[in-house]
Amino acid sequence: MIEYVWLVPLLPLAASLIILFVGRESDHSPMPYVGIAAIGAGLWISLRVIFDGAVGAAVLPFEKDWSWYSFAADLGGRAFIFDMRAGVLIDGAAAVMLAVVCLVSLLVQVYSLGYMHGDTRFKRYFAYISFFTASMLGLVVSNNLIVTFACWELVGVSSYLLIGFWFEQKAPPYAGKKAFITTKLGDLGFFLALLLTFTYAGTYNIVRLKEAVAMGYLPPVVLTFIGLGLLAGAAGKSAQAPLFIWLPDAMEGPTPVSALIHAAPMVAAGLYLVARVYFIYLASPAAMEAVAWVGLATAFLAGTMALVPYDIKRVLAFSTVSQLGFMMCALGVGGYTAGLFHLTTHAFFKALLFLCAGSVIHAVHTNDMRSMGGLSKRMPVTFLTMAVGSLALAGIPPFAGFFSKDLILEKVFEHSHLMFAVLVFTACLTAFYTFRMLFLTFLGDGRDHDRVAHAEESGSVMTVPLLILAALAVVSGWLFEHGHAFASFVGNGGAAEAAAEAAGHGTQAAAGHALNPMVLAVGLTAAAVLLILLAYSLYGGPDLSRAARIKERFLPVFNVLENRWGFDAFFLFLVDASDRLAVLCRWLDTEVIDRIFVDGWGLICRVFAEISHLFDALFVDQAVDGCGYVSRDVAGRGLRSLVARGQVQEYLLYLAVGVSLFAILNK
Amino acid sequence: MTLTLGHYLFLGSGLFIIGIFGALTRRSVIGILMSIELIFNAANVNLAAFNRFLHPDGVTGQAFALFIMTVAAAEVVVGLALVLAIYRSRDKIYMEDINIMRG
Repeated sequence: MIEYVWLVPLLPLAASLIILFVGRESDHSPMPYVGIAAIGAGLWISLRVIFDGAVGAAVLPFEKDWSWYSFAADLGGRAFIFDMRAGVLIDGAAAVMLAVVCLVSLLVQVYSLGYMHGDTRFKRYFAYISFFTASMLGLVVSNNLIVTFACWELVGVSSYLLIGFWFEQKAPPYAGKKAFITTKLGDLGFFLALLLTFTYAGTYNIVRLKEAVAMGYLPPVVLTFIGLGLLAGAAGKSAQAPLFIWLPDAMEGPTPVSALIHAAPMVAAGLYLVARVYFIYLASPAAMEAVAWVGLATAFLAGTMALVPYDIKRVLAFSTVSQLGFMMCALGVGGYTAGLFHLTTHAFFKALLFLCAGSVIHAVHTNDMRSMGGLSKRMPVTFLTMAVGSLALAGIPPFAGFFSKDLILEKVFEHSHLMFAVLVFTACLTAFYTFRMLFLTFLGDGRDHDRVAHAEESGSVMTVPLLILAALAVVSGWLFEHGHAFASFVGNGGAAEAAAEAAGHGTQAAAGHALNPMVLAVGLTAAAVLLILLAYSLYGGPDLSRAARIKERFLPVFNVLENRWGFDAFFLFLVDASDRLAVLCRWLDTEVIDRIFVDGWGLICRVFAEISHLFDALFVDQAVDGCGYVSRDVAGRGLRSLVARGQVQEYLLYLAVGVSLFAILNK
Repeated sequence: MTLTLGHYLFLGSGLFIIGIFGALTRRSVIGILMSIELIFNAANVNLAAFNRFLHPDGVTGQAFALFIMTVAAAEVVVGLALVLAIYRSRDKIYMEDINIMRG
């Protein structure tokens, strides 16, 4: 089965083209089923790949590539044929990512059948979704960094299309542009890293690159720069500080799209990239440390920002950013499996949470949690599944988030106690803001009676995906953690990473700094439960006045958080500054360069041309006219009548004198 | 005393100067034609002399002299015919009277 893994990205791509170009736009278009079938086939292939890999029927990592283009090159006096190859490289992480992306995309598409029903661009929406998934899958399987980069940009394009899907409104196109431009800022780093990579390693193939790094062909400084460049790209795509500003605005897209962006296809891309070229970071401790700090800052900042918004999707958005920070931090401290593990479990429960939020929004037609409350009776399935998702996000055992977050915290503790403290604090915040959202939405009174009273549970096409995801959110953590199944599977493709982890673990344990996992687990759970109770006491009842009083007292803090620590303002300032710079440059161009240099040069040329003209008219032309004047024959006067008198002997005399003159002057 | 190239050139230039002088000063057309014959002969003397002294093996100079004599004879025929035609039509033979080429 693994030989056909290249079909996984191509099937949705073909599906998206078919959906886009075949059939007519209508509410009952059968086209979405094409996309669902394609992604279903992809899911089947990727599950088979995982299964084969797990039982040993297939050897991971699996690489297969085809010649893309080749040309004769001559470098440093050495002629050779450069052959650019593109293909698939499947290691444990890639196999898991394939399955996660396919699964989430499949469920989101099924869910969208209900959510997007009646939209004017029903068919096109599914074409975009398939295209989005295809780009992400291409990014996952590619063994060539150029193809990865191309898919990376395609992910950006399709996210732009999906976020701005409702382009009739004002906010979505703006959010789409913001997402696209912000991620592009990071992509610049990615691109520079690619250029550096090829300059020093001469290949884009990931396996070859790994060999080149192992052989020490790349100087450490270059490795650090490559690592930082890739980190910039990852920070853009995975919404890390300071480029996370686009993710909260990406909420403007349809909610299933948010689920997709937040769970698997888009934000995972950056983390996956870092994991894919982990050998570069292992070879460059500085870049690795940068990864860890970026992740830490993101986790903390976004965690605090998630405390204040009233938009249900915005809370989820900030929590995604925060969890991505956790993962990035884990990768940065050497927790390769921990990061990927959290990525996987997070994909399940974050998709679940978003789809639940979508279900709620679909029922009450607003994002504002102040207009909700008391929905638990009206929407029991959504409430229960969302509660499961929230428990998983908050890290309560035995839900998925507990296992993965625990693993990350263990890793971070070995690395740095400061980071550990910050992350524990953030994890507690996670528990608080998640349940603040849950309680505000589902418990207490219905604060907006019109909306709440008319809310109805969504149809089964929407609730079934919720239930499947909820089941995964319950069991996936335990399933993967059991017998270290995930670690051994993912470690398959990265023996070096596993060895590095083992080495790090060994030295730390010997120094006696390792944390007792039991203490951590119990402590964290207790803290989380306490904060959930605190959230309940503040937001769980019908009376929200205590929460309001607290907000009154800490108003400046709330304002800072609502302004997102000023990051948006900072970037808007940058945009504004660049606008002003552009105006200044234009002024410089038109007023200084055009006026002084261009026009000035023209003036000088004109002056010289006038002088030249005067010389021409006064001297050259007059000389010519003079010649004509003296040879005119007017009334028997002038040169002609003087010389040509018809006397042959005179002519002969002139001839003789002329020849004599030549003879004399020739001396 | 042996004759050298210089003597012949002296003779040639003497003939040439006499010819030029005649051509510029004679009033009669006949006289001018005769002076031109002298110039031709000056050239012939030079050709023969140069051939004799610089290239004694060849006869190019002499051959050229013969050609010139032939051409000169033909030219004199044409010239005298023109003179006769002018004299018959205008009854004039002095050069200053024949100025129909006046510009």
